[in-house]
Amino acid sequence: MSARKPYVRKMSKTSWFLTHARFKSYMLHEVSSVFVALYMWLLIDGLFRLAKGPEAWEAWLSFIKHPLVVILSLIAFAFFIIHTTSWFKAVPQAMRIQTGEHFVDGKLIVGGHYVALGIFSLFVLILAGVA
Amino acid sequence: MSKRNIQLEVLRYRPEQDREPVFQTYTVPCEEEWVVLDALNYVKDEIDRTLSYRWSCHMFVCGSCGFKINGEPKLGCKAFLRDYGDKIRVEPLDNFPIERDLVVVIDDFVDKLQSVKPYIIPKEEKSVAAGEYIQTPAQLKTFKQYSMCINCLLCYSACPQYGLTNQEFIGPAALALAHRYNMDSRDVGRSAREHVLASHEGVWECSFVGACSIVCPKDVDPAGAIQQAKFTSAIDYLTSMVGIGGK
Ligand code: SF4
Ligand code: FES
Repeated sequence: MSARKPYVRKMSKTSWFLTHARFKSYMLHEVSSVFVALYMWLLIDGLFRLAKGPEAWEAWLSFIKHPLVVILSLIAFAFFIIHTTSWFKAVPQAMRIQTGEHFVDGKLIVGGHYVALGIFSLFVLILAGVA
Repeated sequence: MSKRNIQLEVLRYRPEQDREPVFQTYTVPCEEEWVVLDALNYVKDEIDRTLSYRWSCHMFVCGSCGFKINGEPKLGCKAFLRDYGDKIRVEPLDNFPIERDLVVVIDDFVDKLQSVKPYIIPKEEKSVAAGEYIQTPAQLKTFKQYSMCINCLLCYSACPQYGLTNQEFIGPAALALAHRYNMDSRDVGRSAREHVLASHEGVWECSFVGACSIVCPKDVDPAGAIQQAKFTSAIDYLTSMVGIGGK
């Protein structure tokens, strides 16, 4: 008979992410996507209202100007920043650009993403007449 | 040379007497330049010969001395005591069954490693007389980082997906190695590895926590390899849909 009796440690399915700071920040990133999705949904809803006609559009505009919605939007914006920065940080791992015997420096790739984000944001702000 | 007394808390499991693992503390007079493995060796040589753990090279090459040190997967021979306080906790790697003390059962990993065919599958076998398979430095560079793995399993210990799926997930090192061969210009085995790599337990089980790459002592970046493999696997899928096969 074998004297072996391997001991299996159980991992909690519900609280594993509390066991390490690394997992908590991973979870924060995952949760932030919910806020990003909700805000997208709000914007898409706005598009539909716009298509419906001036009245629906005005109602939507006053809805998003409601103090409660403004506060929720600010919270969503904070999560947006978390989501964006954590994704951008990880991009060089997923996207390696090789030129000859070298890889393009990860910092350049991340920097490129921020520049692109800046240009797009500026473009949207100009379109919206804010900048 | 200055000596320092370190309280080494070691998780012990002796299957013939313990129902579950228990901590045992050893007071170890350590030299300042020691690593955690030296402290364990001191225990084994001078204090308690029954303590079990794996090691071999003492120079981060063999990959056998992986432990969880103060909650972090580390190589015992690369964890310098000067980076720790006077109390150090050493446990077996997470996500593997404990065989005895710090020794874990790694059979599951060995099976997974074999399943990804971690060797070059050439287009056609050449005889030795026909010469070597030529590769440029740039082609070597493409996969070299992923070939540095020493199978230490720190990445599996750090990976929550491997634990949460009860070892179903193929896991970081094996997938990184599959990617390494797929990226090798001398290899044509991508389709032979695809059923493992692109399976549900393969790259798609990875949610990019990224812990594997942080703990890897050889900078292999298995998380990066897996994300890139997701990309190629998706492309392969799309091209096979429209009937133009890949490699
Ligand atoms: S990928 Fe890194 S952490 Fe994982 S087994 Fe290989 S060397 Fe160890
Ligand atoms: S003893 Fe070989 S890697 Fe640590």
